[in-house]
Amino acid sequence: MAGNFWQSSHHQQWILDKQELRRDRQFDLNILSEEEYQKVFNFFASIIQVLGEQLKLRQQVIATATVYFKRFYARNSLKCIDPLLLAPTCVFLASKVEEFGVISNSRLITTCQTVIKNKFSYAYGQQEFPYRTNHILECEFYLLENLDCCLIVYQPYRPLLLFVQDIGQDDQLLTYAWRIVNDSLRTDVSLLYPPYQIAIGALQIACVMLGKDNLKPWFAELNVDMDKIQEIVRAIINLYEMWKSYDEKKEIQGLLSKMPKPKPAPQR
Amino acid sequence: MGDNFQNKTMAAVMMDYDFKIKTQNERSKVEDLFDYEGCKVGRGTYGHVYKARRKDGSDTKDYALKQIEGTGLSMSACREIALLRELKHPNVINLIRVFLSHTDRKVWLLFDYAEHDLWHIIKFHRAAKANKKSVMVPKGMVKSLLYQILDGIHYLHSNWVLHRDLKPANILVMGEGPERGRVKIADMGFARLFNAPLKPLADLDPVVVTFWYRAPELLLGARHYTKAIDIWAIGCIFAELLTSEPIFHCRQEDIKTSNPYHHDQLDRIFNVMGFPLEKDWEDIRKMPEHATLVKDFKRSNYQNCSLSKYMDRHKIKPDSKAFSLLQRLLLMDPNKRITSEQAMQDPYFAEDPLPTQDVFAGCTIPYPKREFLTDDDQEDKSDSKARQNQQQQQPNTQQNQVQQNSHDHGANNAKRMRMTGPNQGNNTGGGQQEFHQQQQMMFGSQQQGGSSQQQGNYQQRF
Ligand SMILES: Nc1ncnc2c1ncn2[C@@H]1O[C@H](COP(=O)(O)OP(=O)(O)OP(=O)(O)O)[C@@H](O)[C@H]1O
Ligand SMILES: [Mg+2]
Repeated sequence: MAGNFWQSSHHQQWILDKQELRRDRQFDLNILSEEEYQKVFNFFASIIQVLGEQLKLRQQVIATATVYFKRFYARNSLKCIDPLLLAPTCVFLASKVEEFGVISNSRLITTCQTVIKNKFSYAYGQQEFPYRTNHILECEFYLLENLDCCLIVYQPYRPLLLFVQDIGQDDQLLTYAWRIVNDSLRTDVSLLYPPYQIAIGALQIACVMLGKDNLKPWFAELNVDMDKIQEIVRAIINLYEMWKSYDEKKEIQGLLSKMPKPKPAPQR
Repeated sequence: MGDNFQNKTMAAVMMDYDFKIKTQNERSKVEDLFDYEGCKVGRGTYGHVYKARRKDGSDTKDYALKQIEGTGLSMSACREIALLRELKHPNVINLIRVFLSHTDRKVWLLFDYAEHDLWHIIKFHRAAKANKKSVMVPKGMVKSLLYQILDGIHYLHSNWVLHRDLKPANILVMGEGPERGRVKIADMGFARLFNAPLKPLADLDPVVVTFWYRAPELLLGARHYTKAIDIWAIGCIFAELLTSEPIFHCRQEDIKTSNPYHHDQLDRIFNVMGFPLEKDWEDIRKMPEHATLVKDFKRSNYQNCSLSKYMDRHKIKPDSKAFSLLQRLLLMDPNKRITSEQAMQDPYFAEDPLPTQDVFAGCTIPYPKREFLTDDDQEDKSDSKARQNQQQQQPNTQQNQVQQNSHDHGANNAKRMRMTGPNQGNNTGGGQQEFHQQQQMMFGSQQQGGSSQQQGNYQQRF
């Protein structure tokens, strides 16, 4: 569907309004501060990233899974479905849509178990990954419903490649911008801006980092809303600022216990 | 698992009770909204199709409900939903809605109902021909059909979607109603995006394709799916519309399932087209199965064969515009085959009669409506071959007529083979592939211990 972002469900249904997004998160934001909320998402995005890598998925698939995750919680509170279940479910669904081939159920669960045990013990201690295949499959139906069956997600990687080609192949610039796009998955930009704008934002940051002033004219010639690009740049820079003073290993347990959680059926 | 496991497990509740109840109450069930019981009209490899009506009577239109075979979201179901959700074109079947039935884990797709399809239409013509009767159809019908098929495929191709399973049964035609006589390309379960293959398709589910519509390069082991492969299939369908016979009809019995190379099918193609000359298809030497081809075939056996002779035997004049377009669609060399866009510019479509939006051009539709399949047909689901036979033998006057004309009535469900599928083509080049592997973050790695820095492979891959 590469040629057709403007007609896509991504463009028509899933570029959200900032104010609306904040309103939809009101319930969670009564419990967590905005920064805490972002830290929680950052953590689950890491789980998705590491799971994807362990399963040898490509970054494109991982990015799609992360966007599914964010879209679900854009419309629902964190308490609706345990994010620790939704994260692998997003990976599972994205791998099918992005043609990676179906990951076998048992491999998915085993990978979740080892990843939680080996890489995230700082968050979960000795606790094991509590879910099984049937949970993932049930959750997958809820996910698909909440995504309104919009499964094709456009990512900034392709526009980024085209822009860099246009600039005149510069591997260092591409490498930097590519990583910044990966980082941007930890912010809300994928919910708020079209992927080509995110690619431009990432390029701008990369240029600043590399001290490339000579690209100013190139940016100036682009026919884009520079205010939007600045918002994207700010969101990503804010993330970097946050990371400077953030020690996830120390804080995450507190955040996870503070985060709103699903309530079981009332006991009779 | 067991006790030990229970103890160490986080006391996690997966889903909020109120959320669950709320979504349950809001979710509409397919059986609450639609009447479809006893109205099965189609059975394919991947599902059962029912003719349905809304229960609340808010409209009296017919709908098609496809219940996907098996439970849960198979990969092909996922792909069908993902693609159809995005596609919108008058000649591509429109997915109206998806129902997920949580209790039995069935997936249902709701489409507009198409009363006809090219398999039934061609079958009807063949039966009439066998009985020396003629069917009254508008002169331009074949042209209109072809034009709309090309239009739909052009849309798919320009969105980087390949159909890959084009055959008469998958080309639907709308019956009476606001979209009367409009072509709808269906059955996109195998359509794949092909601009950025993330993984060689051979590693995914085995590809299922009907051989009669398979392009020669596929039969010679081509590893990449291309737009040209869809175009070949359209050429085959065009010829079949013109003659009522599948142009590359071939016995299907001894098809080897794991090998793309298929001697009898190639033999059939050469018998119609003649054996390709080096100058007509230079890259044929590069085909994986070229050595086998050289070993198995003698050019001299096909000395007297050509498409023009074949079509002439079927009363299509070699100097007609229809023939000239057909020849451009059925070029053996995939690089020379025309695109859907070029085909739509062909003089054939500028010549009288011009193609019409209603392929029946307002005339009475001579074809019967779809019949309901009875439950008797509903035997052993595990054996799809038996099921297909059954389907072909359902008692129904049309079909009985066709039985006399026995050589080709398997066309609809022409045995589908599992094959090691070729890859997709049009790869954007190594650089990009590599970049898809790029998982490194700019700062994420240094700043947050433990979360995303396990991508040391960056260096090696980049
Ligand atoms: N929208 C529709 N309206 C009416 N009939 C339909 C519709 N879609 C499908 N059918 C009928 O049901 C049959 C099977 O549908 P479809 O081709 O989508 O399923 P499939 O399982 O993928 O089939 P195949 O074996 O060809 O792959 C079709 O050949 C056609 O006869
Ligand atoms: Mg079909």
